[in-house]
This record gives sequence, C-alpha cells and structure tokens, in this order.
Amino acid sequence: MIEPFAVPFMGRALTEIALLALICGPVSVFVFVRRLSFVSDALTHTVFPGVVIGFVAGGMDGLFTGALVAALLTAGVLTVLTRGARLTDDAATAVVLTAMFSIGVVLVSRRTSYTSDLTAFLFGRLLTVTPRQIAETAVLAAVILVALAIGWRAWLFRAFDPAGAAAAGLRIGRLDLWLNVVLALVVVAAVRAVGTILVVALLIIPAAAARMVTDRLAVMALLGTGLVLAAGYTGLLLSWTASLRYGVALTAASAVVLALVLAYLLLLPVRRWRDRAPVERTSPHELVG
Amino acid sequence: MAAAALRLAGVSVGYSGRPVVTGVDLELRPGQRLALVGPNGAGKSTLIKSVLGLAEIIDGSATVLDRAPAHARAFTGYVPQTGNLDPDFPVSARQVVMMGRYRRLGWWRPARAADRRAVTEALDRVGLADRAGLRFGLLSGGQRQRVLLARAIAAQPRLLLLDEPFNGVDAVSQEAIVRVLRDLSAAGTALVISTHDLAVARDLADLVCLVNGRQWAVGTPGETLTAGPLRQTYGSSAIDLADGRMVLVEP
Repeated sequence: MIEPFAVPFMGRALTEIALLALICGPVSVFVFVRRLSFVSDALTHTVFPGVVIGFVAGGMDGLFTGALVAALLTAGVLTVLTRGARLTDDAATAVVLTAMFSIGVVLVSRRTSYTSDLTAFLFGRLLTVTPRQIAETAVLAAVILVALAIGWRAWLFRAFDPAGAAAAGLRIGRLDLWLNVVLALVVVAAVRAVGTILVVALLIIPAAAARMVTDRLAVMALLGTGLVLAAGYTGLLLSWTASLRYGVALTAASAVVLALVLAYLLLLPVRRWRDRAPVERTSPHELVG
Repeated sequence: MAAAALRLAGVSVGYSGRPVVTGVDLELRPGQRLALVGPNGAGKSTLIKSVLGLAEIIDGSATVLDRAPAHARAFTGYVPQTGNLDPDFPVSARQVVMMGRYRRLGWWRPARAADRRAVTEALDRVGLADRAGLRFGLLSGGQRQRVLLARAIAAQPRLLLLDEPFNGVDAVSQEAIVRVLRDLSAAGTALVISTHDLAVARDLADLVCLVNGRQWAVGTPGETLTAGPLRQTYGSSAIDLADGRMVLVEP
C-alpha cells in the first residue's frame, strides 16, 4: 500500500521518521547498555520549557533553537548529577525532570491557544513537517552519526566495564557528557515531529525490543532502525486509514509510537523462548566453583 | 638493572583525602610477581587502583615504570573482578578481548588483521579460543576471568594488575590463569595480584605484601606468610591452633 505516501505531507512524514530511525537505532543501543532510560526521559522533559520559550520567542524556528539550548544545558547538568550512580542521583534527576516540566507547563498555560499548543509540544506535528525541517533533521542526523562513529568504541568499553575503561585511560566524565549531548541532539532532532513525550519511546524501545532477539550490538542497532522504520510506516498508515476511512482522529506520532510499542510486545515472547532454550554450555568440570 | 616496574615509597592511598591504606613501601622489578594479601576490605583494590592512577596518592611517592601512575596507563594492564560486570551485557568474549586493543586503535581506526590476530592469540593463551563467539555472560565465572585476562594480554602491558583473579574461579580456570601469569612474568611482565588465598600467594608470588589498612609486612613468601606477620595483619581473625598452626577466618 504505497498510495497514501504519494501524498506530499505523508511522504515528508515518512522521510522524517526514516531519518530519525537512522539515528535512533544505534543511539538507543547505548541508552540500553548504559541504562540511561531514565536520563533520556529526564532529557525529553527538561527540553520542554526550552521548546515553549523558543516557540513563544520565534515560532517553529525559535522552537528548534530553544530545544537545542535547553537540551545541551540539561545534558551537562545530568552528566554531573549522575556521576556517582547512587540512588540520590536518581532523585536529583527526577527533581530536575519535574521542575523543568512544570515550568514548561506554566509557560505554555499563559498562552491563549493553550490546549493545541500543549498537544503539539508534547506529541509533535508529524504531518506538518516541512522540507526545511527535514533538512535540519538530516544535518543533525549526520552530526549524530559522526559522533557515534567516533564514540562507540569508548562508550562500549565504558558501559561494559567502567573501572577497566578508566584504567585503560578513557576519561569517563567526558565520555558520559558526550553521550548525553548526543542524546540531547536526538531529542532536538525529533522533538518537532514526535513531541517531547514520545521521543523517549524512540530512544528506549528500538534497542530494548531488538535485544530480545539478538545478543549482538551491531544487530541491535540495525534491527532498532528497522523497527522504527516499520513502526513509522505502519503508524502513519494506521493514522491515515483511521482518519480517512473511519473518521477517527489518531495523532500520527502516537500511532507510530504505538506501533513501536506493539513491536516490543510482540518480541517479548521471543526473549522468553530464548531464555528457556538451552544455551551451549561449558563442559561439566568447568562449571565447578 | 632495568627500571623498577613499580616503586612505592611511604605511600598512603585513598579517596577524597581519606586514607584507606597507609605506609606502603615496596619495589617491583620487571618479571616479578607481587601478591597483595589481606582480608576483605583491607584496601587491596584501592592500592591497585592507585597504581592505575584511579585512587588518590595522599602521601609518599609512587612511580610506575618511572612515571606518575596516571601517565603510565599505556603500559599497565588491569584485570577487574568479574563479579562487578553485568552478565546480561550483549558482548561476545571476542569483543571483550578486543577492548584491550582499543587504546592502540584510537577513536577511528577499524581493527586490522594484526588486532584480530592479537585477540585470537590472547584467547588461545587462556584456552578459550573455541568460546570466542559466545556471549560473555554465558561463560562460567572462571572463563569470564580468563577472558578479562586475555583482554589485558591483548594490550601487551609491562605491568599487569589483577584484582582477586581467583575469586569464585574453578580449578581448571585457576590452573590456566596461573600458567599464563607464570608465562607473562617469564617474558618480563611485572605482576601485582591481590588475593586472600594464602596458598595461591605462597605458590605464585616472588614477593608478598601484607596489607590491612596499612602495610604490615613485605618480603618473600617465606618471610611474610608466617605466624607473626599474619597475626598482625589479620588481628582477631587469626586463630592459633593448639599444635602451633594457625587458621584465618573472615570476620
């Protein structure tokens, strides 16, 4: 069923999702192995006031700048807050998250078009993506992919064995800041299309779902990208069909995220089955001790 | 004589200014094997971290291959305790060993044939070449320890530090690790091995350092692993038996 995507706005929406898929697959792998789900969640919420201030000051272009500034700021703050990986850091992150989100809501509630603005900020406007926005997303995607290509080795080592990585001379603080900045850039890239709430799904679900079927990081990244693509296609189609055929208003971005969640749920049994399947074991005398 | 692999003179180490181990004086030459012996929580890991430049040298002077610890990391290797690593982490044994080559590879350069060969050789030396493709977490505790040792070997260090490498390790793996360590030191690598297993220390080390909050004794196994120094180090955990022998119990 290609026909709906021949409509320009649908084609642009799919292009935007495809660009996001390209970066979210690999980036979500690092969110997964570094257990940064909560940090990603915090990032998406702290970007919210930036988005609002940016939008009020300069419309859709201002929104981009506002998001960028807020995202980079929080990337730095969260890096400092999560340094010790103690429980108190979690609490501090949660405080930052809720505080910033509340500020955003207060700011947006001062506007007359409160409800529609809030919806747009939270859930994005996937169907009104402009060619210019696609170009900006493409540039950000390129920057993120380059950052990934440089950082993946060190991030992997740091995620697996922080003490070993530090002993090998890697600077953990800088690596963490770098990864958080990349996460922030993904949020900025995705925020206009899918909104501040749903972008967290793109950062977490692809790798988490892919992990259920594979142990290999590269496969996780590729599969994650594939899943976002498939969810994007399915979700857009679903949203199109629901509104045109059945007159049900289904936000495009939510449909995409729901499709992604569905993929996750469908893959859950695979993980269970894999866990139960006998793995190649070592010879009995090596299991002693 | 070649430069000392490790020289600690009146060293106190710890974190944020608070000492964990004090008064450490020792010198390790290339090819020598030093055992750090003491009960759990004695500060053995902190001492190892300080040699890697990851714990603070609060007092005294520490040189690693004639450099400050933090500047010697290109020449030091570290084998952490496997227990600290997530068994669910999606990496293969081979990928873990390849991490030992990352320093040489830098940020950009893809792994070359020489890197892959070094990884295969390192896995072969610890007897796990046939397990290379297996996920790290699916290996037994002893095999994981051997993979981490292979990772350190792949980096070809001149001073190798191992944190409790025999903890929860089966007999086969222990034998394999001991054999590799002997080979390494014969080839000139200096070794620092922390352990609370006195038999391992006696068997493997040229030099033993007894620590528990401070250095209690340093010398050959014959000089240090005797009733007097052990009683000092282990305090009330050292229990004298009627026949003149002694047992150590963890508090």
